[in-house]
Amino acid sequence: MIGIALPKGRLGEKVYSMLAGAGYGCDAYESGSRKLIFSDEQGGVKYFWVKPADVAVYVERGAADVGVAGKDVLEENNPDVYELADLGMGRCRMCVAAKSDWRDDTSRTLRVATKFVNVAKRYYAKLGRDIEIIKLNGSIELAPILGMSDVIVDIVETGTTLKENDLKVFAEIFQISARLIVNKASYKFKNAQISGLTQKLISEVKK
Amino acid sequence: MNGKTEDKVLAELASLYERRGYMRYRPGCFEDYSLYLDNIDFLISKNVITFSGAEGRLLALRPDITLSLVSHMQCDGQTRKLFYTEKVYRRADGVGEFRDINQTGVEVVGDIDRACETEVAQLILDTLSMVSRNCMLDISHMGYTEGMMAALNIPDDQKQFVYACLRGKNVHDFIQLKNLCGLDESAVSTFAGIAEIGGDAASAILKVKQCVLNQEMAAAADELEQLIFSLSETGYKDNIAINFSIANNADYYNGLIFNGYIDGVPKRVLSGGRYDKLLQKLGKTGGAIGFALYLGELERFFKPVGNAVDVLILYDDDSMLEALKSGKHMADGGRAVRISRTVPEDIRYGKIVDMRSKSK
Repeated sequence: MIGIALPKGRLGEKVYSMLAGAGYGCDAYESGSRKLIFSDEQGGVKYFWVKPADVAVYVERGAADVGVAGKDVLEENNPDVYELADLGMGRCRMCVAAKSDWRDDTSRTLRVATKFVNVAKRYYAKLGRDIEIIKLNGSIELAPILGMSDVIVDIVETGTTLKENDLKVFAEIFQISARLIVNKASYKFKNAQISGLTQKLISEVKK
Repeated sequence: MNGKTEDKVLAELASLYERRGYMRYRPGCFEDYSLYLDNIDFLISKNVITFSGAEGRLLALRPDITLSLVSHMQCDGQTRKLFYTEKVYRRADGVGEFRDINQTGVEVVGDIDRACETEVAQLILDTLSMVSRNCMLDISHMGYTEGMMAALNIPDDQKQFVYACLRGKNVHDFIQLKNLCGLDESAVSTFAGIAEIGGDAASAILKVKQCVLNQEMAAAADELEQLIFSLSETGYKDNIAINFSIANNADYYNGLIFNGYIDGVPKRVLSGGRYDKLLQKLGKTGGAIGFALYLGELERFFKPVGNAVDVLILYDDDSMLEALKSGKHMADGGRAVRISRTVPEDIRYGKIVDMRSKSK
């Protein structure tokens, strides 16, 4: 039996469809259901709905053998897992954004509002820039508008929210998409099943 | 229950190492903090508990045994084979509060030849098997991965990124280097071939040899092939795999690298390898190889959720002696037994044997 952690929400539903297309469907699956676990004994799969940011934790700790997590979560938490495939879904970018008239004053500490503390720290350490991190959990765009931060480090999908709030992207840190991740111990002891699933899923991505 | 306890396994391992001619090493509890600070990348957990010593020196509770052992070792041309079972002090999992964790391991310092490397690899497999027969040993070689870096002309500032891709078996992100470092398609397919190597060692070694690009990789492939052959001969054919995703820090490690896994434990429980470069960094000569078993990762394996006792015997004044006798008899037979006047609410138990008079 392979345990698969899916991110709750639209991305998870899409990933499930892809897995079902690859032959890992589940009769017990109901779209929009509040059930957290559904399994198919015959097909040898058990699915869990997990908060997207927690998928990597479930996989790293072996509660799930396999999972689908965004590159943003993987870069932020750096879990010790295999990252076997780019599923090409949920594409967006991790960016530095600020008010459109913002200009960097390098004589001052840069105030950075973000949910992705480690990503921001690593990015600015590489640039040798002294920063002050302001950790937020949502509505990050508000911070520079209210003057609480100079810039934000956040996910940009279409850029509409930024535009509507007179913000713009000043730098792209990395590109984001959904990745297939695997627990390192499971990969050894369930190698045939996990390799089979990975290959079938990669074929689905290429379709 | 797997029937084993941490104490029992540690005792069996100590006996195993002694029978193979390894001597017990007992390090001090603390060291100068500078030893760990200067070699912080060698440690699996970077956080260290520090305190001021009697003479104002900054001391640290040891987070690792290997560094202590090697730093105090005299390099007088002798080869020393040592083992230890000690507590180390670090943050389990790299987060949360510090814990004292049992660690046992083996180190050989001095003249390291192929026989010595093979013996250490055998001891690793014996160690893992002592915990559970359902174990796997991943074997890699720093010479092979460093040779690959040289053959693909990976710039120094991108090596860390390439090693991160290798650790994650992540080919899709490695492709980003195509433009950045001017790599061609064949470089990508070579990397993909190496990253994907796994499965049974006998067929993996053929792929290892197919991917060889230079002398350094060829020498490493040869060493791996001989080791796989020797370990297969000792009955461990199904417990070994070649896996280049376990590359360690190239500043300290050279040659063979090992990671051990136990079915049912989500993370590696053992790591080790050849670390001549650490010796050189500490101004010493010769070679070194060793491994450590992390008992902290095995805590739940040894103590799975289950009954605290197999049998709960309930007694009263009339049946006290009978209960004591039955309890001893059952315990002698290997079952965990608790005798009690009432049913305790804070433990799980299997069967109840009620000897109280009102129940008769």
